[in-house]
Formats: sequence, C-alpha cells, structure tokens
Amino acid sequence: MTDQSIVRARDASRTFGRGASAVVAVHGVSCDIDAGARIALTGPSGSGKTTLLHLLAGLDVPTTGSIDWPAIGDRADLRPGAVAVVFQAPSLIPSLNVIENVALPLLLQSIDRRTARVAALDALTRLGLTDLVHSLPEELSGGQAQRVAAARVMAGRPRLILADEPTGQLDRVNGLLVIDALVHAADRSNAALVVNTHDPDVAAHFDQVWSMSSGRLLQREPARR
Amino acid sequence: MSSGRTRSHGLYRTWVIATLRRRTGPVLATSLGIALAVALLASLGAFLSSSKATMTRRAIDSVAVDWQVEAQPGSDSAQLAADVGATAHVAAAEVVEFATTSGFDTTTGNTKQTTGMGQVVGISDTYRSTFPAEVRSLLGSDAGVLLFQQTAANLGASPGTVISIGRSGLQPVVLTVTGIVDLPEADSLFQAVGAPTGAQPQAPPDNVLIVPSPTWHKLFDALSVARPDLTRTQVHVRLDRRLPSDPAAAYSSITGQARNLEAQLGGAGLVGDNVAAALSGARGDALYAQILFLFLGTPGAALAALLTASVASSAADRRRREQALLRTRGATARQLVGLGVTDAITVGVIGAIAGISLARLVGRLAFHSATFGSTETSAMTWTIGAIVIGFAIAVITVALPARRDAHRTTVAESRRAIGRRQNPRWMAYGLDFLLLSASALVFWLTSRNGYTLVLAVEGVPTISVSYWAFAGPALLWAGGGLLIYRAVSLLLTRGQAVVAAGIKPVVGDLSDTVAASMGRQRRVLARGATLVALTVGFATSTAVFNSTYEHQARIDAILSNGADVTVTTSPGAIVSPSSATATAIAATAGVHHVEAIQHRFAYVGADLQDLYGVNAATIVAAGRLQNAYFAGGTAKDLIATLGARPDSLLVSAETVHDFQLHPGDPITLRLQDGRTKQYTNVPFHYVGVTKEFPTAPHDSFLIANAGYIAKMTGNDTVGAFLVDTRGADVAGVARRLRDVVGTSATVTDLVSTRRIVGSSLTAVDLSGLTKVELAFALALAAAATGLTLWMGLAERRRTFTIAAALGANRRQLGGFVWAEAGVTTLGGVVTGAVGAWALATMLVRVLTGVFDPAPEALTVPWAYLATVLSICVVASAIAGAATLRSARGLRLELLRTQ
Ligand SMILES: Nc1ncnc2c1ncn2[C@@H]1O[C@H](COP(=O)(O)OP(=O)(O)OP(=O)(O)O)[C@@H](O)[C@H]1O
Ligand SMILES: [Mg+2]
Repeated sequence: MTDQSIVRARDASRTFGRGASAVVAVHGVSCDIDAGARIALTGPSGSGKTTLLHLLAGLDVPTTGSIDWPAIGDRADLRPGAVAVVFQAPSLIPSLNVIENVALPLLLQSIDRRTARVAALDALTRLGLTDLVHSLPEELSGGQAQRVAAARVMAGRPRLILADEPTGQLDRVNGLLVIDALVHAADRSNAALVVNTHDPDVAAHFDQVWSMSSGRLLQREPARR
Repeated sequence: MSSGRTRSHGLYRTWVIATLRRRTGPVLATSLGIALAVALLASLGAFLSSSKATMTRRAIDSVAVDWQVEAQPGSDSAQLAADVGATAHVAAAEVVEFATTSGFDTTTGNTKQTTGMGQVVGISDTYRSTFPAEVRSLLGSDAGVLLFQQTAANLGASPGTVISIGRSGLQPVVLTVTGIVDLPEADSLFQAVGAPTGAQPQAPPDNVLIVPSPTWHKLFDALSVARPDLTRTQVHVRLDRRLPSDPAAAYSSITGQARNLEAQLGGAGLVGDNVAAALSGARGDALYAQILFLFLGTPGAALAALLTASVASSAADRRRREQALLRTRGATARQLVGLGVTDAITVGVIGAIAGISLARLVGRLAFHSATFGSTETSAMTWTIGAIVIGFAIAVITVALPARRDAHRTTVAESRRAIGRRQNPRWMAYGLDFLLLSASALVFWLTSRNGYTLVLAVEGVPTISVSYWAFAGPALLWAGGGLLIYRAVSLLLTRGQAVVAAGIKPVVGDLSDTVAASMGRQRRVLARGATLVALTVGFATSTAVFNSTYEHQARIDAILSNGADVTVTTSPGAIVSPSSATATAIAATAGVHHVEAIQHRFAYVGADLQDLYGVNAATIVAAGRLQNAYFAGGTAKDLIATLGARPDSLLVSAETVHDFQLHPGDPITLRLQDGRTKQYTNVPFHYVGVTKEFPTAPHDSFLIANAGYIAKMTGNDTVGAFLVDTRGADVAGVARRLRDVVGTSATVTDLVSTRRIVGSSLTAVDLSGLTKVELAFALALAAAATGLTLWMGLAERRRTFTIAAALGANRRQLGGFVWAEAGVTTLGGVVTGAVGAWALATMLVRVLTGVFDPAPEALTVPWAYLATVLSICVVASAIAGAATLRSARGLRLELLRTQ
C-alpha cells in the first residue's frame, strides 16, 4: 500500500482554553502528506505552525476534525520510530551527554546499545559535532543544541520527520547543513519531511511551501526553485 | 528616591501575589518544612515546661511535713511555735515532742520480748488531720497509743497488748497499745535537723511509739529535766506552697524562705526543709527532661530546617531563571535581594501560622490542652521562640541563597544544577571521617566510668550539666550524614556499573543510560538520600530510645511494686501458702500465676534487715528478675546457686563488705521463731550478692530459700503474693483481689505504682514526649521522602516529558523515575537504619543517668519502624506515580518553554 498517505488531516482544529479566552490555534486544516514529500511551513509568529506540527506528530489531538496516519497505523504506533520531531525549544535531556541524547530514541526502540551508538555517532559526524560527543547540553551553545536535536532525528529511520524551526538559531552555513542533513535522512528512509521556518532561504529548499495565517492553512504552492 | 522606593513596594507586592499564585506548590512545600520545625519546637517546649510544673507539684505533694523546725537547747518551745506560726507562707504549725527510750518490752504468757532503743513521739490531737500523710493506720484505733508496725512485729504486739516503756534513769511505764501504724516518711520524721549537708543520713529507728501530747508530757517531762539530751521539740509546718513551677526556681525560693525564718528566729530554731529535699531530686529530673528535650528536639528541628533547605534548593533553578529574566529587564541586585527576602517572609509567615496551629492541635489531641498543660505565659514564650527559629530557617534557606545568586555576575555561573561540577570540597578534606572520629573520641571520654551527665548535689543551690556529652551524638549525626552523602555519591559515580546491573531487569538496554543520568545528578540524589536517611535515623533512634526507656520504666515499676499486682499481707496476719486466702487469690479471674514470697526481719549481728524467702525454682520468671539485680552472674545463675543448697543466702554488697564475707562463709541470722516468738539463731551460707529485688528496699536486704526458713522457724507465713496477670487489665484484677483479701492484706498494682514511683521523669513525662516526638518523626519522614522526591522530580518534569515525546513507553519512563526514587528512598532507609542503631546505642549510653537500673539491651519498636518504612515507601511511591502521570500526560507546554 505504498500509495497511502503518511499523514492525513480532515478539517482539523485545535482550540486552547474555553469561552471568551479561547484561542483557535489551528482552524479547519485539511491536507495529505505522502511519503517523500518535502514541505516548508511558513507563516507569521502565532499563526499556528507549532500547533499544527504537534497535531501532525500525534503529540496533540485536534479538538474537532481528525488526523490519521494511513501508512503507519494508530497514534500509538507513531513512537518510538515512525515519527521524529525536532522541537522549537531546546529539548535535550540535561542529565545525558550529547551521544546519549542522540542514541536515546534508538534505545527506546529496543535497538541494541552498540548499534544505537554507531548510528548516533554517524549522525553527529554528519552534522560536524564529533568534538562535542561527550559534552553535556548545558555546555552547548543554542545552535549546537539545535544541531544535536537534528542529529537525534537523523539517527533513526523515521517515516515522518517534523522539524520546528530547526535553523532558528543557526548561521547560514550551519542552517543549510542542518537542512541538508534532514533531507538526507528523509531520503534514506523515503520519509515525508515537514519543516517550519520563517526563513525564505530555507523554504526555497523544499518542493512545496505551505503558509499559515491565523490558524488556517492558506496557500499551498510548489517552491520556486 | 521615594519614588524608587514606591516602585519597589509595588514590585514586592506584585511578586508576592505572583509567587503565591504561580508557585503555590513550592511555596507550600517550603512553608511545610518551616511549619514542622515551629510546631515541633513549640510543642516540645510547652510540653517541657508543663512537665517541669508536674515534677514540682509531684515533688511537693510527696512531702508529708513541709518543714520540721527544731527548737535549739535553751529556747522556749511555746514561743518558737508562736513565732513560726506567725511567719509568712506558714499555713499551719504543730508542736511535736521526741523522747529516746531505752527500749520496749511485752510479756506473753511467760515469755518476754524486748527491743533495743527507740523513740516515743508526742503529737497533738489535730496533728494527724494537719499532716495526714505522716502516720498511716494499719490496725486498731486512729488515736491513742500507736505502735510502729515493725516494732509491733518485733514484739508480737497488736491492739490491746500492754507494753512497757524504758526511761533512762527512771522507772519504766506501762501503756496499752490502741493501734498499729506505718510511718511512710520515717526517714524525714527522724532526720537530724541541722546536720551538715553531705553527712551520712541516719537510719530511722526500728522502734517507735506515738502517744498523745499530754501523755508524752506525763511520761517524759521528768526525763527532759534529768536528761535534756534525750528529748527534743520540733514545730512541724505546713506551708501555703506558693512556689514557682520550675523545680530549680521552686528550690531556691523555698530555701530562701527557710533561711529567712531561721534568721528571724535568731538561733532559736533550725529548719529541716523537707520540701527542698524533695525538690532537690526533682531539680535533677527537670534537668534531665531538659536534656532529653535538647537531645530529641534539636535534631528534629535541624531536620525540618534541612528539609526546608532541600525543598527550597529544588526550586532554586527556577528562581535563578526568573532572576536572570528580571535582571535583563533592569532589576538591580538590591531589588533581587529584596525579592529573596520577600520570599523568605512569605514562607516564614505561612510556616509560622501553620506550625503554631499544628502545635496547638497536637497539644489538644495528645494532652487535651492546646498549651500542653503549661501556663499561657510559658507556652507563649516557647511559641515566640519557635517562631523566631522558624523565621531564621526561612532566612537561611530562602533569602541567603537568593542573595548569593543575585550577586553572581553571570547567569551561566548559576545555571548548572546538573553536570560535571566537582564534589563538595569537604569530601576532599574527609570532613565526614574527622567528625566521626571526633564523635567516637568524645563518646569514649564521656562514657567512661564515673562520668555523670547531671550533677545535682543535695543542699547546693546550683546544678550542673555536662554539655560535653551532647557533642558525641551531635558529631555522629553530622559526620554520619556527610558519610551517607559520600557513599551515595560514590555509588552513583564509581559504582555506575553496579547501579546499571541493578536496574537492568526493569529498564533493559536503557540501564546504562539511566545509570549515567543518575551519576550526573548525584548531588541532588545524594542530598535526597541523605535527608531520608537522617529522618529515618531520627525516627528510628528516637523510637528505640523511647521504647528502651519505657521498658526500663516498667522494670523500675515492677521493682518497686514487685509484680503486675502485689498482695502484701498485713502485719500480724498469718497467711500460709496453703491457706484459703492463697487459694482464693490464685482462683481470681485474670490471675495467671501467683508467686508467694516470705518477708521477715532478721538480725545480721546488730543490724536488722529485711529477709525474703523465695522459691528458687519459680522466682526468676515470676519475679521478672533482671540480671542487673545481681552481681557476679545472671539472675538465673544466682538463683540457681541459691536453690542448690537449702541454707544458701544472698546478701547485699554492703553486708559483704561490713562482715568481710567470702563465698561459702557461714553466716548466722537471728530470726523470730513462729512457735515461741523468740529470736533464735539460724545458720546460713553466703553464696552471692544481690542488689535489687522486687518489693525490697534499695539498701540492705537478704534472700534465702523459703522452705528452709519455714522449716527452721516453724512458720511459713507469706509476706507478699506476686500476681502475674500477663499484663492484661491490671487495675481490674487488683480491684477483684481487694474484694477477695479484704483487710487481711493490701493490694497494689503496677499501673498506679508507676505513676508515683520515685522520679516523676520515669513515670509520666516521657510517654507524652514519646507521642509528640514519634508523631513528628513520622511526619518528617513522610515529608522528607515525599517532598524531596516530588520537588526533585517536578524540576525534571520537562526531562520526562521529552522522554515521553521521544516515545518512551510506560516501562521505560518508569525506569527513569523509579530508579531515582529507589536510590533516594532505599539508600536513605538502609543507611538511616544503620546510623540509627549507632545513634540509639550512643544516646542510651550517654543518658545512662536516666535509667535505673541500666538497660541490658536496646528495645526495638518493630511496629513503629515498620510504619516509618511503609510511610517512606508510600510517600516515594506517590511522588513517583504523580511524576509519571504528568510525564505520560504529555504536557506540551513544557516543550514550548525552556
Ligand atoms: N497551551 C496554550 N494555551 C493557550 N494558547 C496557546 C497554547 N499554545 C499555543 N497557544 C496559542 O496558539 C497560537 C498559535 O501558537 P503556535 O505556537 O502554534 O504559533 P507559531 O506559528 O508556532 O508561532 P511562532 O512562529 O512564534 O513559533 C498562539 O496565539 C498561541 O498564543
Ligand atoms: Mg512555533
């Protein structure tokens, strides 16, 4: 069933709070994302990108409408393994060093320690982080931490990669390095890749650029290459 | 300037409101630590002052005659009585006359009994109602010619017996006995008033006759002219007893009053101050109570402070982030310090209010008095003291760290809660080992023979405590705590392989990662484990100490009462072991075993001593004889030696010394023959030394085989029946036995004896202290385990949420949480138990003075310890489960912020 979508949203909305103070962060979004898709999600701050990403990742559930993952299975089957997320805020575990952080999702999949370590080291090397293998998150700069988070996604073989502003704190060179690495990882496992970004340079690397405004998914256009 | 201040006020108000609203959990947790410290100190303090008041009251209540003012040679006794009666604080005064007689004798048939020298006391007809406790009627009339029980036994006299009274140089006179009495306060009644302090106390006379004052004058006025040295006059005084509630203060007050009277009398009279003598002992007890308060209360309060510090420091990361934020918005270091102080005041106020309410509640529950029975003033003093200490804890644990952080220049410096930071510096210096060695040294010095903790010399107004002894346990406590920190820290770093292997069954391949994560958090985890260990150690050592103390208090009571219930036959009553009375006692409901013991008086040379005739086959168990009662062997050994030969005799150490006895030496006692009523020689062999025996006096007495005594004297009369009720319904059995024996015997029970036994400290006070202490120890253990874990884990909620977002399943998440909870709780409980054993041993040794006799072994309160353990386990289970729940709930807002 290779023609099945990786993730499919139908009129999905997410509302925070209730009554007068309710905020509709995502409003009636419908979309299909197939294997191999390369999508950049743009939009002004507060437009609902992160919220939509969390819905697509199955970390959050829509208030109304539905989201499912036809090619993967239930929401319970998403993790660990099938879906990998790079969060907007730093998300490394402070008491684990860099390589332990990167290897953690693999260990959670019951992959044996040696294999996990080799894969983690591979990903770190690709992102030019070999020197920092034994550093603790508190010893990293913001950009280094973001690269480690990207490496964590790369070490596995996910079907869907969701990255929330992975280049927000990076210089141009390193930003492109991270995007390359994510694309490479997606290619390796024929995964769908969705990246939130404010940066048009970054968006230009993607087949499609979707934009959001006030919770709605407005335009979906192929990127101008 | 003033506008700046106004702005700051606004800032602080906003801060307090925001703090209370958004950090409710941490604020309440910190306040709880302070509340526990305040409540513990306020309760123990109020309780201490109420116990002291009880001690004073009991000591005074035990006094039959407050003052005995002895007329000095040449003074006018009538004038003396009038002067004394007119003195301030004197409620009643009675003249009492004493005359020394050369002896009493009686004639029954054609045998004649004679006693040695004795005393004839003349009292007014109102004396017995003014001083009801001085003379106790046993048989016959309450008034008239009253013969002392021991004299009656020696003479074989009873009401109606005619006795002749010897008068030096004059004709003897004859009187008819109308009643037999006991003189419970004979020691003080016949004291040598004005004897220099420290002089050997005189034994009271064995032979005493009390007669109405007119009779006394008829008999002895002539003697007092011929031999003034053989008569004396005293004025007995009852005071209004308005004294301070503290024994030491009461002692100095009463002593002052007595000196004042002596000065007013201008040498006409000397005061024998029985109240001061009683208070002198209570003074020492009060000091012991104070020491116990320090020993037990200080660590509790210190622990509550540590708990507060630990909780506050768990929240410190957050505070540092907030401070950094405020600084970027232009807050000055001064304002940041101000905010820290505001935080401290907030938790201090909440903690103090909660603590005082808790203390009053505990007082009401445990003692039916919010002030623990003490006066409002002293309760208030303690309350204020406790609040001051509560605020001090708040300042030290909340305001000072905030100040330190506020003055740090970079955020990075204060950022690291986890990481490579080196071990605390004291570890490199080996401070823990130094403290433990110092503790051992102090303990060795202070537990050597001859060391006394409390020095209360009779007659000396000041008493002293050797506070040195506190250093031993205090150093052990501090050193032990640091050692536990070191051990846990070492386990989590060097012993990571061991930890990983230990958790492998639960977390599988994640074990190395979890172990590594714990190694990096060793400071937090070791601190938590140490805190748990210290609270468990506190609870355990307190409980062990308390139950050992309880056990000893019970033994003490058994020693004075003899058994659960003791039936003492009246003098003159002849109750054979096979009599109807004996059978009826054994048949009474609730009576498990009855042990009959004989009680006689025997002359050892010229010395009259109590002699107990026992059944060697049964007495060890029935009398609950302790090894401490004997010298040179266990209770079993010595009683077996006694039983091995019929004529064996156990004597007191003084007697061994006085008569230069060696084991196996023959010794002849003079015992009254049941048939002829004459004293006859009975041969015995000395086989061993006894120090204490149920119902026996604390000084000299003798133990022999009952069968041999009965055979040699033709008399098997039982002196007392020791009744074992197996501890059940002692009071009920005593009531039934009173109905069974009627007037032929008196029945006493352990429960009421325990209340009046010698020192009031053993009797009541610790039972109350126990309740309060043990309840607080439980609360502390629960708070330490639960709060430490909960706060620690709460700070790491983000970590667990990340792990959950990465796809950790229930088991894997549990691995992270339970491994940390397990190290903290198990590590704490195990090391705490070991530490507690050492601490309890040391406490019991250091406080040996409280115990009389000294305990043979520690008594372990297993039920309480099981409670402590389950509370720790349950508290950590709740904290862990709550954390897991929140992590699995995937609270995404935690992933949005940093
Ligand atoms: N837990 C929450 N409770 C209430 N409102 C929320 C919550 N999370 C997000 N919002 C609101 O939902 C809206 C969308 O937020 P979201 O984080 O998805 O925006 P975004 O497009 O990712 O913005 P940015 O580019 O700044 O990251 C915002 O208005 C935000 O305030
Ligand atoms: Mg966002």
